[in-house]
Amino acid sequence: MSDLDRQIEQLKRCEPLKESEVKALCLKAMEILVEESNVQRVDAPVTICGDIHGQFYDMKELFKVGGDCPKTNYLFLGDFVDRGFYSVETFLLLLALKVRYPDRITLIRGNHESRQITQVYGFYDECLRKYGSVNVWRYCTDIFDYLSLSALIENKIFSVHGGLSPAISTLDQIRTIDRKQEVPHDGAMCDLLWSDPEDIVDGWGLSPRGAGFLFGGSVVSSFNHANNIDYICRAHQLVMEGYKWMFNNQIVTVWSAPNYCYRCGNVAAILELDGNLNKQFRVFDAAPQESRGAPAKKPAPDYFL
Amino acid sequence: MELEVDENDLKAAGAEIFVDGGRRGIRIHGWLIESRRNSILNSSTVQEWEKKLVTSHLPEMVFGENTLILKHLNSGTKIHFNAFDALCGWKQEALPPVEVPAAAKWKFRSKPFEEVILDYDYTFTTPYCGSGAIEIDKELNGTKISEETGNLHWEDCKEQIDLIALSSKEPILFYDEVVLYEDELADNGVSLLTVKVRVMPRSWFLLLQFWLRVDGVLIRLRETRMHCIFAGSANPVVLRETCWRESTFQALSAKGHPVDSAAYNDPSIISQKLPTVKRTTQKLVISS
Repeated sequence: MSDLDRQIEQLKRCEPLKESEVKALCLKAMEILVEESNVQRVDAPVTICGDIHGQFYDMKELFKVGGDCPKTNYLFLGDFVDRGFYSVETFLLLLALKVRYPDRITLIRGNHESRQITQVYGFYDECLRKYGSVNVWRYCTDIFDYLSLSALIENKIFSVHGGLSPAISTLDQIRTIDRKQEVPHDGAMCDLLWSDPEDIVDGWGLSPRGAGFLFGGSVVSSFNHANNIDYICRAHQLVMEGYKWMFNNQIVTVWSAPNYCYRCGNVAAILELDGNLNKQFRVFDAAPQESRGAPAKKPAPDYFL
Repeated sequence: MELEVDENDLKAAGAEIFVDGGRRGIRIHGWLIESRRNSILNSSTVQEWEKKLVTSHLPEMVFGENTLILKHLNSGTKIHFNAFDALCGWKQEALPPVEVPAAAKWKFRSKPFEEVILDYDYTFTTPYCGSGAIEIDKELNGTKISEETGNLHWEDCKEQIDLIALSSKEPILFYDEVVLYEDELADNGVSLLTVKVRVMPRSWFLLLQFWLRVDGVLIRLRETRMHCIFAGSANPVVLRETCWRESTFQALSAKGHPVDSAAYNDPSIISQKLPTVKRTTQKLVISS
C-alpha cells in the first residue's frame, strides 16, 4: 500500500495526518490544481455536493449514499471547512482523494476557503488546537488559492459556489481571472463565491449590508442563454430540504451538511447526474450519534448569570 | 442538554422531572417549566411566516417550534419565549441596515439605477423580552383546552435581581438552552437569539439573549433576565431586568480592546466591555 493510500485510510477513520505529511500532500495537490482551469471541465456521470463545513461524519454518510471515490465521480462546490468540528480531517481527506484520483474528484473554491474567513469561523482555531501551530492552516490556505472557481459539466451545467457577477456575462470572462490569490472583497472572483439568487429582484440587487450582490431570474436566464447552458448548480445557502430550485428550474441550490451546526435538523442532498445528464437528488440525514467518534458531550450545569 | 440530576436533590425540593417526546421540563413549587427543541422551519412554513410577518426575509435558521414556557399553575400566569413573537418585535423596531466595512468600496462599483438596494434590518435585532398571558385550563366536552384570559402586568420597580444569591452553587435541578433564531449574516458575523433557564431548589432564573456581531462594525447585546424565588404560600414575584449594551468596533479599538472578530465569540466574556445603552427593572406580582 502506498503512503497516499495509507493516508487516505487513516483520514477515513477521522485521524489527522502529521504536519510533515500535510505539507507534502499540499505540494502534490498544488501541482495538480495549478493546471486546472477557472472553469474546470467535468464529464458526466458526476455527483455534485454542496457545503460540508467540517462535518466529517456526515460526509461519510454522503459517501455511503453516493458511493466511494473513485467509483463515483465527484464535484464538490466548496465550503469544506469552518463551523463543524472536523475541518482538518474533512479537507485533507478530500485533498488526498484529489491527489490520488485527480480525474475522479473536482474541488472548487467556496467563500470559506479563505484566510480571513477561516480565522473567524473555526478552521484556524482547529488547526492550532490539533497541531499546536498554525503551519497546517498555512499549508491549507495556500492550497485554497489554487482551487478552481467553477466547473462546467458536459458544457451544459455551470457549477459555482455562490453565484453570478455583474462583471461576468460569459464563461470566457471567468477563464481570464487570475485566481491564485486570497478571495478579494469585491470584483468578479468575490461575486462567484459570495453572491445569492434572490426572489424579490428580477435583475441585480445589492444586499442591505452594502456589499454582496443578489441576482434575480432574468439575470440567470440571460446568463444561461448566452452561455448555452441548461441550468446553474450552486451551494452556499442552507436549505432545509437539501436542495431548492429557483427561477423555473434555471438554478438549483444543493446543500450537503445535514443537521447543520449539529442543531438545525435539516436533511442534506447531493445531485447525481448520469451519463445523459438525467438528474437524481439523493437526500440523506446526519450520521447517527453512535457512529461519531467523540461521545455525546454532557454539558456541565451552567451557572450563568 | 441532558443533565444528570441527583434524585435526592429533586425529592428534597419536592420537584419532578418529566420527558415527553421533544418536551422536557420540571414541576416545582406550583410552576411547570418546560422547554421544547426542534428543527428549523421548512421552506413552506418559512413562506407562511413571511406572509404573516409581511416580510420577504427571515433569519436563515428559525427554530419556529422551539420554546421555553414557565407556567404558574394556580394563577394561570404563563411566561414564554418563541421566535415568532421575537420576529414581530424585529419587524416593529425596523432598524436601518448596518453597512459592513466592504460597503465603502462597493459604493464605487454598484450602479444604483440598475440595482435594487434591499434595506431591511438583516441583523434581526429585536426588543423582545418575552411573551406572556394569563391562561386558564378548561374542560370543554371532555377535552382540556387552554384559554387566554388576560395579559401580564409588569411594573417598574427598584428591586434588583440578587446576582450574589444566584452565584451560590445550589444544585441545578433543570437546565436547558433553546435557540429561537440564528443568522450567519452571510458570513459577516452572527445574529443569535437564545434563552436559557436553570431551576434550583429555591428559585428559577432565565436569560434571554440577543447577540449580534457584525464583523468589523458593531457588537450588540440585548439581555433580559428573570428571576423568581419560590416563596411558599406568599404571592410569587418575578423580577425582570433588561439590559442593552452596544459598541462599534471603532469605539472598542479606541479603548484598546482587540478589533479582530475572533476575539468576540463569547458574549458572556466581553459583555462588560460594552457600554450600557438601556436598562430597566420590572416586576410581576402573581396573584392567585
